[in-house]
Amino acid sequence: MATIYQNLQTLISRQEKLNFNFSLFVQENITRSWWLTLWLLILTFITIRVTISQLVAAPVITAVVLIIWLLSIGMVVLNEVTRQHTNISLWLKENLYNSITNTQLTLILTLLIIAGLRAFYAYAWVNASFETDPEIAAQLEFTGANWGAVIANMRNLMVFRFPKEETWRIWASLALIIVLGIPSVYIYQQQKYRRSKIRSALTFLWILSPIIIFFLLRGINEENPLLPQVNPDVAWGGLMLTIIISIFAIVVSFPLGVLLALGRRSKIRGIPAWLTWTVALGFTVWGLIYSTPPNLAAARSTSEELLSYWPLAIPIVAFLFQRYFNGNVVAAFSTIYIEVVRGVPLITVLFMAIILFPIFLPPGMQILNTWRVLAGFALFSAAYLAENVRGGLQAIPKGQYEAADSLGLTTFQKYRLIILPQALRIVIPAIVGQFIGLFKDTSLVAIVGLFDLLNVANTIAAQPQWLGVRREAYIFIAVIYYIGSAVMTGYSRRLEARLGVGER
Amino acid sequence: MADLSPQLPKTRSTTIPFWRDIRVLGVLAQIAFVIVAVMGITWVVRNTLANLDELGESQFICRDGTSSFRCAYDFMRLDAQFDIAETPIPYEPSDSYWRALGVAAVNTLKVTVLGVILATVLGTLAGIARLSSNWLVSNLAKWYVDLMRNTPLLLQLFFLYFSVILVLPPIKEAIQPFNLPIFFSQRGINIPAPVFMPSFAVWLAFVVLGIIQAQVLWIILGRQEELTGKSSNRFRWALVSFLLVVGIGWYVSGSLTSTQAIMTPKSLRVREFKDLQKIMLNRLKLADLGDIELALSNGTLTQEDIDAAAFRICAQKESASEVNLTSQLRNANIPYTVKRSTRLDQATEAYANGECEILVASQSLLAAEREALEDGANHVILPIAETPVRISIPNLEGLNFVGGAKLTPEFAAILIGLVLYTGGFIAEIVRAGIQAVPKGQSEAARALGLSESQRLRLIVLPQALRVIIPPITSQYLNLAKNSTLAQAIAFPDLWTVSYTTINQSGRAIQIMLIVMGSYLSLSLIISALLNWYNRRIALVER
Amino acid sequence: MDKLETAEDIIICRNVHKWYGDFHALKGINLTVKKGEVIVIIGPSGSGKSTFIRTINRLEEHQEGEIIVDGILLSHDVRNIAEIRREVGMVFQQFNLFPHLTVLENVTLAPIHVRKWSRDHAEEVAMKWLTRVGIPEQAHKYPGQLSGGQQQRVAIARALAMEPKIMLFDEPTSALDPEMIKEVLDVMRDLARSGYTILAVTHEMGFAREVADRVIFFDGGQIVEQNTPDQFFTNPKHERTKLFLSQILHH
Ligand SMILES: Nc1ncnc2c1ncn2[C@@H]1O[C@H](COP(=O)(O)OP(=O)(O)OP(=O)(O)O)[C@@H](O)[C@H]1O
Ligand SMILES: [Mg+2]
Repeated sequence: MATIYQNLQTLISRQEKLNFNFSLFVQENITRSWWLTLWLLILTFITIRVTISQLVAAPVITAVVLIIWLLSIGMVVLNEVTRQHTNISLWLKENLYNSITNTQLTLILTLLIIAGLRAFYAYAWVNASFETDPEIAAQLEFTGANWGAVIANMRNLMVFRFPKEETWRIWASLALIIVLGIPSVYIYQQQKYRRSKIRSALTFLWILSPIIIFFLLRGINEENPLLPQVNPDVAWGGLMLTIIISIFAIVVSFPLGVLLALGRRSKIRGIPAWLTWTVALGFTVWGLIYSTPPNLAAARSTSEELLSYWPLAIPIVAFLFQRYFNGNVVAAFSTIYIEVVRGVPLITVLFMAIILFPIFLPPGMQILNTWRVLAGFALFSAAYLAENVRGGLQAIPKGQYEAADSLGLTTFQKYRLIILPQALRIVIPAIVGQFIGLFKDTSLVAIVGLFDLLNVANTIAAQPQWLGVRREAYIFIAVIYYIGSAVMTGYSRRLEARLGVGER
Repeated sequence: MADLSPQLPKTRSTTIPFWRDIRVLGVLAQIAFVIVAVMGITWVVRNTLANLDELGESQFICRDGTSSFRCAYDFMRLDAQFDIAETPIPYEPSDSYWRALGVAAVNTLKVTVLGVILATVLGTLAGIARLSSNWLVSNLAKWYVDLMRNTPLLLQLFFLYFSVILVLPPIKEAIQPFNLPIFFSQRGINIPAPVFMPSFAVWLAFVVLGIIQAQVLWIILGRQEELTGKSSNRFRWALVSFLLVVGIGWYVSGSLTSTQAIMTPKSLRVREFKDLQKIMLNRLKLADLGDIELALSNGTLTQEDIDAAAFRICAQKESASEVNLTSQLRNANIPYTVKRSTRLDQATEAYANGECEILVASQSLLAAEREALEDGANHVILPIAETPVRISIPNLEGLNFVGGAKLTPEFAAILIGLVLYTGGFIAEIVRAGIQAVPKGQSEAARALGLSESQRLRLIVLPQALRVIIPPITSQYLNLAKNSTLAQAIAFPDLWTVSYTTINQSGRAIQIMLIVMGSYLSLSLIISALLNWYNRRIALVER
Repeated sequence: MDKLETAEDIIICRNVHKWYGDFHALKGINLTVKKGEVIVIIGPSGSGKSTFIRTINRLEEHQEGEIIVDGILLSHDVRNIAEIRREVGMVFQQFNLFPHLTVLENVTLAPIHVRKWSRDHAEEVAMKWLTRVGIPEQAHKYPGQLSGGQQQRVAIARALAMEPKIMLFDEPTSALDPEMIKEVLDVMRDLARSGYTILAVTHEMGFAREVADRVIFFDGGQIVEQNTPDQFFTNPKHERTKLFLSQILHH
């Protein structure tokens, strides 16, 4: 206020030439083009409509907003005209009031955001119930959110049906991760620990930790007094299952993905063309002699007759194989695996895992749904990881390979010591991004019947005492997913920035 | 130079054991790989066969009762016996599994194509909003993008379906935002939709003509520009000429092919469309039909009077002729009610019984119907105007909306869900693409004296597109693949129906092969299209 | 290992041909290098100099002819290739240091993993070489933190740490700023005098005159002329050589 007053004073007393060109202002803001003028008119109309409707709905707040809006415009205009911007007025001018349309938009959006926040506040707090006892809650009259249902189901949302008396095992797993995590932050950063025993020990423990956690969460066997076995299909669920799946998938898909990426890029001398062609022609002839005639005889339609000539497709495959892969089977296999898996939806992969795994395994062999889903996720994730790693490999200059060769390193040493450490470092942010994707994609197990975070939220609505309470649970888990993803995204941004300037 | 040729020492053995020969090693490794792979596949196939045996040979049963691998897909000709909630092409439970999957595939294509288009529009807008100079706008766009990217799509779909769409008001109290003819209710979303009249085909010819001649003009002006070195704003001229041809075509095709007609009793004394207006003025005793609202409010007329006076029209259900007539009546403010019958002869019967005064259909059909009437001579057929496209507007009649297009709650949820989600990702891509164009480029364009639109069109957009296309391709692919999540809300897309088929027929392997093949082809087609487009842009670049 | 009796001839190339697809890059190279000899290869761009010295340690495969290095026939035998690479050190134009490893790790990597030395021994040797090339104090830095000349000296130390009998240099100074060229050439001179067999592609004529035992002129994938530096520079025999020398010396 004081500055405005001072500015007015100087304006009046000094009567300087003002920093304002009316015709230019009109030209810039109104008449620059037909579209602008039209847009301005529409916006003006909307501004008036919104303001009036908000004045009716919430008179006090809207009036306050309007006054602040007008005053701040006045301040900006005054400071602009007298060329005496303060930091605030400069920021306002550049970010909120830099044209007439933007000024209007600012008002409209402020009013709408406030209206939205008010509605949400009323729903989520003022009119909400936090009563966790369903019977009392049923008596209460409230129109807002029923957070009681979420709070009452908190244990379900976190670990679902993990046996109550075994909860300590989950805490122990968490504690293990924290105990390992805190020193890691320091030790892996510091140059002086690069070759230290502590660092190797820590790395060893990290590698060991999934096994420990597995036995903590699954148990060892039925009779074990300390760690009795639990059935993951029943006892694993909620946020715990979500995290288990995403971590398992990324960890297992890592080596697979690296192998696939190396396979796809491999330049090993392929199967020579003459060998391919001989084998292909041999099979073709064999097929034409032994398979085609009987099939042809049994064919019931033209399409089946055509299909009887299937051996003729073999030379085509052979041609494509030589043409695109130069006879390199490993590259062909990796490429086809990667492209097929990336070309089909995740849910079909999961379905394959659930329904078709048992068909592919020897008769009588049973595996739990949880393991099938984990395997499905890992195989799926491997294809995407392979593409990320391939991106990293492509970024390694040829000179690195040559230097390694000229020193006499074997191929294995070359990749282990020179190429992969550099390539993987480049793709860490991409892998973190993929992990975030997996974290969100785990929600798909709801469709195949496991109880991850999302599916547990669905079960709340089916509980007789909380019948139909859905929205609250969805909002709650959305917050969990949001925080999880946002934290990891932030971490990956930091990593990216650090690697960008990095040790190169 | 013989003196320089070094004397080679006698070599003891030049043959290399094959396990050390680098040429052989690669091939050996690969043969080993092939053997392992073949063994793995054999193992899987043997297990599968054993398991299938356990399931019985029913998996491969032929029509003649024998069992053979050739008959793996024979069951697909059997009746599907399940209902599909949404059928863009006709389908009955007594149709085959093939047809059921076909219907579902069309549903998937519908979602994918609409989703790609809408997500691109939304994503582009949000991406531009992200770069807005207004702090609030850019932050709102950022919150939107973050929300979409940081929560699972499936959660968003569940939320949208169960907590937004299904809790909308019942159909009677449908929400109508800003009084637009769009209705949101528990039963879905009703929106206006275009109806194509028979003359549409003629008009389409004009559109094609317009495109061709705009192209020609574009090329001619381009030559001229090269010759004279003067810019002639050929984009504007091509557009103007295109619009001109299309506009003329609109009227010409409408008046040339007048296929539409109404039939009225001679007693009604209607000789042209205008007469309907006069009759109505007479009935309501008004000077102008625009005064109906006024008369209603000052009490000279009641709603009952209007209902009594309204023209009673008989029409076949979902016929374009009805839309053509009623939209003209609506424009002229003439009140009417429509009685719809499933078949045209039923409508004619109702008309003959005096249930309505006007029968609407195409001229040829009406002529045939008049022949069938006993007192055909007492009825006149009156041609009425048509335009190539009429907009049909949803209208609440009884417990249903009539006219327009209807999005079922499931379709609305999957479409909106996919569009919002993918739009969030596309927004980031668009933003990055625009930011990737160096500032210097814009400055250079301004320095050259290009206008704002020229700067965007000629300088910024082509460069941004080069950065945008590859990642946006993978977003389109994701959208196509994510459409399978429709299963969660029971929208009958390809995957949902395949799943039902597997459960119904017990043939998992056969169906999975079809499904995976279909999605793989869809992915390949999308990436092929965009690769082609990308190459084209890259060529234009040069 | 079947070693061939090659007396003093440490590298023998006979009628070496190399094709890149249809392009005939080496057209029958014949060359014998004696132990301790220092050879400088010069020639116009694209004449096949790099290709030739890269065939010697099998970074490029030759299709015809024979190459024998330190009595070992360079064939398709993986064991021979590995053996030869252990005896041949190479220094590249672009240094090709491993950016994710420190200088010391760069130098000790191959001795530890190829020669199977203990880390302590390898580090001791590495420090000796780093001292010899004049940068022991940089041992714990990363390559990215060094100047071009320092990086190239690390690259030389890395090659030397394998204790090779032969050193190949492919234009080691042409990616360097003028003031750094000298520090690298000083190291190379030092090596040349201490008895290494050296094949160097370089356009540093001063270096060639001073330390080379023989100068070889490449053109169009062939050895056009070879002679002692004195003879070569003062009395070139071939027209092509004269033209090349006049161009290179007058600029
Ligand atoms: N990988 C390759 N594929 C195809 N042709 C190649 C390849 N490497 C080199 N060539 C060709 O072989 C010829 C010889 O190349 P080389 O690198 O040996 O020349 P150079 O004498 O070292 O030249 P410079 O002085 O420029 O380094 C050149 O014409 C080059 O184009
Ligand atoms: Mg070279």
